[in-house]
Amino acid sequence: MKAPGRPSIPASFWGIPIPGPVALASGTCGFGIELAEMNLLDDVAFVFSKAVTPEPRDGNEPPRIYDTGMGLLNSIGLANPGIEKVLSDVLPRAASIGRPLVINVAGATVEEFARTVSALEASGVHAGYEVNVSCPNVEAGGMAFGVDPSEVGRVTRAVRRETDRPFAVKLTPNGGDMVRAAQEAEAAGADAVTVCNTFLGMKIDWRTGTPVFRRGVAGYSSPALLPLVVAGVWQVSSAVGIPVIASGGVREASDVLELLSAGASLVQVGTGVLRRPSLPSEIAAGLRELLCED
Amino acid sequence: MNGGMMDESALVMESRFVDDGIARLVLEAPGIAAECRPGQFAMLEPSPGAFPVTRRPLTFSGCDRSAGTVSFLFDVVGKGTSLLSEASPGDRIRLLGPLGRGYDITPGRWLLIAGGMGAAGFPFLLSRTGGGLVLAGMRSSRGIGCLPAGSRLATEDGSAGVRGLVTDLLVDIDWDAFDSVAVCGPAPMMKAVVLAAPRSAAHRIQVSMESGMGCGWGVCGGCPVPSSGGGYLSCCRDGPVFRADCIDWERV
Ligand SMILES: Cc1cc2nc3c(=O)[nH]c(=O)nc-3n(C[C@H](O)[C@H](O)[C@H](O)COP(=O)(O)OP(=O)(O)OC[C@H]3O[C@@H](n4cnc5c(N)ncnc54)[C@H](O)[C@@H]3O)c2cc1C
Ligand SMILES: Cc1cc2nc3c(=O)[nH]c(=O)nc-3n(C[C@H](O)[C@H](O)[C@H](O)COP(=O)(O)O)c2cc1C
Repeated sequence: MKAPGRPSIPASFWGIPIPGPVALASGTCGFGIELAEMNLLDDVAFVFSKAVTPEPRDGNEPPRIYDTGMGLLNSIGLANPGIEKVLSDVLPRAASIGRPLVINVAGATVEEFARTVSALEASGVHAGYEVNVSCPNVEAGGMAFGVDPSEVGRVTRAVRRETDRPFAVKLTPNGGDMVRAAQEAEAAGADAVTVCNTFLGMKIDWRTGTPVFRRGVAGYSSPALLPLVVAGVWQVSSAVGIPVIASGGVREASDVLELLSAGASLVQVGTGVLRRPSLPSEIAAGLRELLCED
Repeated sequence: MNGGMMDESALVMESRFVDDGIARLVLEAPGIAAECRPGQFAMLEPSPGAFPVTRRPLTFSGCDRSAGTVSFLFDVVGKGTSLLSEASPGDRIRLLGPLGRGYDITPGRWLLIAGGMGAAGFPFLLSRTGGGLVLAGMRSSRGIGCLPAGSRLATEDGSAGVRGLVTDLLVDIDWDAFDSVAVCGPAPMMKAVVLAAPRSAAHRIQVSMESGMGCGWGVCGGCPVPSSGGGYLSCCRDGPVFRADCIDWERV
């Protein structure tokens, strides 16, 4: 295992110059359009979009969000308008956000991933893709693709065949071996891995004995998970040569520096932006302060 | 609809309990006060620390443009509202707003129907409609001091007004005498009111829906409201105030 190093601030990612290491995570910024309208993207390196699936999805029945007070549970259910509407309505509007856009893609089968990417190739708006392998693999009994490294390899190969644009494979911390999954993704042609999606969580109303969410479990995010993500980034970046994008638990500038130390090349902020739309700028100011002090 | 939102570090001007478990906050937020309209809401950061992780939505209860202040009235039900109720004058609270679509304020006679703390936004609404008849259903006499003067009241325990539910007060209502109807309260109460109204009134009824919210500004997809057109509307972006016939009450 390599030793964590002193953080260095990247000047580019995938060959694209960036103002700093902070990117917006998938599902917590739409397609960046709202934040662009408020001029809050100046310090954002990349915008990772909400997941796109081949067909429109209404998403899960409510409730979809529960803040335990210590962390956020979400069960959105990949609600999105589907490829066709994304191409005709959303991407033309996202063309003017002024920051590189990465489209997060999801599917229930390997073929759906390939079909989504292939259809999106018709647009010139986005810089690349993030392949969300945390979604249930219908062909494998509904277990997440990401749990099985060989399935991660299959999805990655299928996406690689469809595009020359760079793409990241976003790993799941739930149940699988992220290091092996990352190695499979690299071998199959991925240009980065994202570590990682939300952790499996659950909230039960013990008075009635019923789970808050219809599906029982949900995705959990919290600043308290930062050390888990630091560990994941360190282990994965020690094992692969492609860049590692950190995702999870970031609230302030020192968190970003810690993840860069662990081996990340880019750091996403998700839940933190729901609370503070200006978080990327607040972190950029924090980074200037910390690095100047130093 | 949230293009004009601002994130203000608002000064707490007043913070007190107005009844058992009901808190009132007055915040100095001149930018938001200048723009907010009845039925819109703000996301309040309960603590400057890391937890809770998300802000909490509260509707504007009042707005004093010249003083640059907005006020909120809320039930203390959990961690977030409890922390907000503990704020002291001089503290600062981050306030994101104004958010969502508020009431469509048309001229004519207004009927306002509240369940419990759903009445929180009515003082602000009444200040812009130039008055209206208020009907309120409460569990007990707790909180009746927060209701606009002249409200007709039903309490479930009979401790004030008539014993019963707000729908019992609808029996005497001539719906045709009102040009606009505003309804705000728990979902089952709003559903009961909408179902009790004559079909011909449906397009004149505006309901203020509630949902848990992650962001409040339209990006997380966490606040779905069943749409009469199928699928879901977003409570924070398309609402929280909707025309009653836009909602699929079967799925509420
Ligand atoms: C647009 C809008 C405007 C509002 N305006 C007002 C207002 O003016 N005044 C007012 O009093 N309230 C208002 N509310 C409601 C208010 O936002 C909530 O009461 C508040 O967010 C609760 O936060 P908390 O941290 O105190 O409670 P929490 O700890 O989040 O939860 C409160 C209680 O509800 C339960 N609960 C929470 N979420 C769920 C869920 N998904 N499923 C099952 N149980 C759950 C918890 O267990 C707890 O008992 C508004 C809501 C919206 C959406
Ligand atoms: C409301 C919500 C929606 C999300 N939607 C997606 C999604 O569509 N695709 C995806 O890959 N990750 C999604 N995520 C995961 C985030 O992108 C991020 O990886 C995770 O929340 C950890 O980062 P954070 O702690 O900064 O939030 C979502 C997270 C949240 C809270």
